[in-house]
Amino acid sequence: MSRFFTTGSDSESESSLSGEELVTKPVGGNYGKQPLLLSEDEEDTKRVVRSAKDKRFEELTNLIRTIRNAMKIRDVTKCLEEFELLGKAYGKAKSIVDKEGVPRFYIRILADLEDYLNELWEDKEGKKKMNKNNAKALSTLRQKIRKYNRDFESHITSYKQNPEQSADEDAEKNEEDSEGSSDEDEDEEGVSAATFLKKKSDAPSGESRKFLKKMDDEDEDSEDSEDDEDWDTGSTSSDSDSEEEEGKQTALASRFLKKAPTTDEDKKAAEKKREDKAKKKHDRKSKRLDEEEEDNEGGEWERVRGGVPLVKEKPKMFAKGTEITHAVVIKKLNEILQARGKKGTDRAAQIELLQLLVQIAAENNLGEGVIVKIKFNIIASLYDYNPNLATYMKPEMWGKCLDCINELMDILFANPNIFVGENILEESENLHNTDQPLRVRGCILTLVERMDEEFTKIMQNTDPHSQEYVEHLKDEAQVCAIIERVQRYLEEKGTTEEVCRIYLLRILHTYYKFDYKAHQRQLTPPEGSSKSEQDQAENEGEDSAVLMERLCKYIYAKDRTDRIRTCAILCHIYHHALHSRWYQARDLMLMSHLQDNIQHADPPVQILYNRTMVQLGICAFRQGLTKDAHNALLDIQSSGRAKELLGQGLLLRSLQERNQEQEKVERRRQVPFHLHINLELLECVYLVSAMLLEIPYMAAHESDARRRMISKQFHHQLRVGERQPLLGPPESMREHVVAASKAMKMGDWKTCHSFIINEKMNGKVWDLFPEADKVRTMLVRKIQEESLRTYLFTYSSVYDSISMETLSDMFELDLPTVHSIISKMIINEELMASLDQPTQTVVMHRTEPTAQQNLALQLAEKLGSLVENNERVFDHKQGTYGGYFRDQKDGYRKNEGYMRRGGYRQQQSQTAY
Amino acid sequence: MQNVEGDFRGEIWPSVVLKIIKHYQEEGQGTEVVQGVLLGLVVEDRLEITNCFPFPQHTEDDADFDEVQYQMEMMRSLRHVNIDHLHVGWYQSTYYGSFVTRALLDSQFSYQHAIEESVVLIYDPIKTAEGSLSLKAYRLTPKLMEVCKEKDFSPEALKKANITFEYMFEEVPIVIKNSHLINVLMWELEKKSAVADKHELLSLASSNHLGKNLQLLMDRVDEMSQDIVKYNTYMRNTSKQQQQKHQYQQRRQQENMQRQSRGEPPLPEEDLSKLFKPPQPPARMDSLLIAGQINTYCQNIKEFTAQNLGKLFMAQALQEYNN
Repeated sequence: MSRFFTTGSDSESESSLSGEELVTKPVGGNYGKQPLLLSEDEEDTKRVVRSAKDKRFEELTNLIRTIRNAMKIRDVTKCLEEFELLGKAYGKAKSIVDKEGVPRFYIRILADLEDYLNELWEDKEGKKKMNKNNAKALSTLRQKIRKYNRDFESHITSYKQNPEQSADEDAEKNEEDSEGSSDEDEDEEGVSAATFLKKKSDAPSGESRKFLKKMDDEDEDSEDSEDDEDWDTGSTSSDSDSEEEEGKQTALASRFLKKAPTTDEDKKAAEKKREDKAKKKHDRKSKRLDEEEEDNEGGEWERVRGGVPLVKEKPKMFAKGTEITHAVVIKKLNEILQARGKKGTDRAAQIELLQLLVQIAAENNLGEGVIVKIKFNIIASLYDYNPNLATYMKPEMWGKCLDCINELMDILFANPNIFVGENILEESENLHNTDQPLRVRGCILTLVERMDEEFTKIMQNTDPHSQEYVEHLKDEAQVCAIIERVQRYLEEKGTTEEVCRIYLLRILHTYYKFDYKAHQRQLTPPEGSSKSEQDQAENEGEDSAVLMERLCKYIYAKDRTDRIRTCAILCHIYHHALHSRWYQARDLMLMSHLQDNIQHADPPVQILYNRTMVQLGICAFRQGLTKDAHNALLDIQSSGRAKELLGQGLLLRSLQERNQEQEKVERRRQVPFHLHINLELLECVYLVSAMLLEIPYMAAHESDARRRMISKQFHHQLRVGERQPLLGPPESMREHVVAASKAMKMGDWKTCHSFIINEKMNGKVWDLFPEADKVRTMLVRKIQEESLRTYLFTYSSVYDSISMETLSDMFELDLPTVHSIISKMIINEELMASLDQPTQTVVMHRTEPTAQQNLALQLAEKLGSLVENNERVFDHKQGTYGGYFRDQKDGYRKNEGYMRRGGYRQQQSQTAY
Repeated sequence: MQNVEGDFRGEIWPSVVLKIIKHYQEEGQGTEVVQGVLLGLVVEDRLEITNCFPFPQHTEDDADFDEVQYQMEMMRSLRHVNIDHLHVGWYQSTYYGSFVTRALLDSQFSYQHAIEESVVLIYDPIKTAEGSLSLKAYRLTPKLMEVCKEKDFSPEALKKANITFEYMFEEVPIVIKNSHLINVLMWELEKKSAVADKHELLSLASSNHLGKNLQLLMDRVDEMSQDIVKYNTYMRNTSKQQQQKHQYQQRRQQENMQRQSRGEPPLPEEDLSKLFKPPQPPARMDSLLIAGQINTYCQNIKEFTAQNLGKLFMAQALQEYNN
């Protein structure tokens, strides 16, 4: 089996990876790295060990020798220099030392040096004799070594207690000693190693060891005998490491190893021990290897390479010679799955393992059932890969996931006798008995839904203005294709509920797309014969409208959960609105009664509702139904939080109001960029429809004290425009609308028109509509009509009569239209005038009060209230109690005194005029 | 507004009038007012206003400008050039006749308190622009002087003083006294001037003036309403408290009766005013002033409409005559 792994390039990268892993590891005692065993190459690597240690230790011993020489000739300066070098060299050898223990010779030199220095220090006479440099160096060195030795205090004291043990070692022996000591370790088994670890590790590593031990307890494998302890620590620690650094193959290998003994049942404990020992040894070796790599100074590359094949041959699924049967594979699968979700499990490794298993299964012709089963699990673990909800799949994972689902679908389509379902129990699965239909546990629908979610997440987390986004967006087609396939599959085999769910998924991927083909077809219906072949081929796809209709109707009829139906309705409306089928969209919206109870829905559905309303409003605008457009958009626009309500971004303002958690939740609700509704378009549509409504209204109610605003936001924009001290030509969309409104107020439709429709506005807004030209013609017409109305309201007082022909010329409207508009105004009592048919003129009645009359009326009103207040004061004067007037108003009114006061009131008013 | 009692009257030298008009034209516009000091002398029951000088316009920058110092210095300087230096009042421009304010009352009071004959000369530039010079001299009535001296504007005090808005100010009749030579010159000039120069007087446009006046009148009426509402609440609060006080007293009395019948000593007397603090009465001066202002507006409008009506009839007659 291992031949999958014997590819040369693989091994290289693997080894280098493992190297990196070690480098990044913090210095600590838990070096159980790579418990990979394959015993054949053991002899080989021993040399590596020696060389690795040698190099460092030789360096040290050389330095020590120089120091000793310097000591003999009392050259303290030299001593200082060398000591500094020694310190550095020791630092380099630190990782080896951590493992091996502080070499005795090193301790010895430290102790000796300190003694020597103290001696020198005490020797006052000698000090006097010393030259200046030396004296200075002495004091520095003395301080340094004191400080330095503090770290090694225990070692030094222990050395001082029995200095004879290593009394006269030279460099040659030294090496042997270290060799021997490492051998010793091995013989002493884990206990000595443990003490080693304890000794060498600093406090934090000790802690980590404890922590690891705890993990061991959780781990099933910790049932192994006590002897294995530090092997265990090793492997688990490597696991935890790999958890940090996702997806490292070495860890994967360790997993294999751990499993190997359990699969091979006939392995004896003694053998295991041996193995462990070997492993431990190997650990050390490989680690040293890595260190060498890390330094890259000495060119001992060959040897490193020698160690490599070791690493890569590790992953072994089954023991050699095991017969691959269903039972074995399933067992293996379960084993792998058991590790799922556990703390120490490396998820990347799991995926790899499962993929291997599929290959094995396929190679051994174990049947589709098993493969389907494993595939399900692969996809599931792909989804599991990210533990955090907020993070999203990496592109390669995503690609893998898509491929996997596609393959799974291939199999399912190719083998109609496979039954897949989430309610099939594990026990009742039938994976290989080909006589009966195969039954596999698993839910393809859930997988696809999850896939869709992941896709949304990827889109949410990609910068929408980057090329990357486009790349990701290309996957949308694939996602749609998969959904379509699953839909086909489920239509055959799934329950209605499942079909509803997959339909909704399909709808969600369809509703927001404008169907250009259908649109094109609509524009040129009859001349299909003259079209080329290619065009026809293009047109063959189902109309998205028809598709939506079919899917939604199915859901309306069959769905039992409210949510799916609501979503389907909203999407349906949205789709209608997008394709300018205003009346269908509106009727559907009204029939569904969603407006009444949408506030009870969950936020994503509310966002969808908002989007639908906005789309509906824009659709109404395209149809020239300004009032409907305004009403539909009012809720969204008046809040000033359109961005948030449509799920197209978070507002900065409310950042303080919500905490981190809420923000995360909100972030997850965001709609991916390709579904966004252009906010500027939205605002422009709203403002223009508000302008078309508000300006004539304002003109009509100019002097009315109680007139109401139709659109607050529009008024706000107008006020902002007025506040500007200098008015330049409009720049932004809002300024354009404000400028247009001002022109319209004067009834100047041409200027208004030129402000609303020009190059800038076309680029910003109008060209975004599918039928831009149609919208523009509608808009011009609307502007002409409303300007005419405004003109009549504003200037009717200066006319006695006005010819309709003149009006028709002024506003470039045809006579019947002018006639109808004026008639409507007269009927609605907005314009006090009458039409003179023979001369085609409008005759004004002049019943409107003038400014002075209006003022006088207002004054009269005010005086009325003043008098009333005054009467109350009078009541007090008469000695009636407070509240009398209020309580007995009716009775009071009948009082005689009232008449007198009434007369007084008349007098008052008269004087006022 | 009543006329001053007795024969007291003012004589203004034309140079004063021209100075005031010039002052407004140069420094005042719109609702901004200009002010200045009148100088002259009192001869028997005649107040002669022979000279004046303007106050500088107040700006934010010179908040520490000392007006008194300025006045004293001006007067000292004028005395050096042998000009009458008796401080006989002050003048102020007005916007559509709105001058009855607290500020005017206060400063006029202080003038009149110092020199009894002091007057305030109100100059209406808008009316003047329409063709008829509008200058009016006012004094505070002795009654109002009394009230202002007391500084008690509570309803009771005003009631006791028997003061109403009609009796706040008294108008001093004034004449512009020209020297004979000037009169002769005027006659000569009048002969030479064409009729067209006086067309402002005959302007038929009324809406602007009337509208403005109405607007101002309306604002005052609003203020008046608010004031009355305030007064109303005060009245209500007082009466409510009276009631409570009454009830409390009655209860007390009953208890005392019972105690007496039982042979116990009566409850000690308590300070009722501490228990029931009467609500702060609103100052009535403001409402008086507003009423006075409303009165002025009304008179203005009345005058204006009467004149305009006359003009309209005249125009109609002319029209008919021409036809």
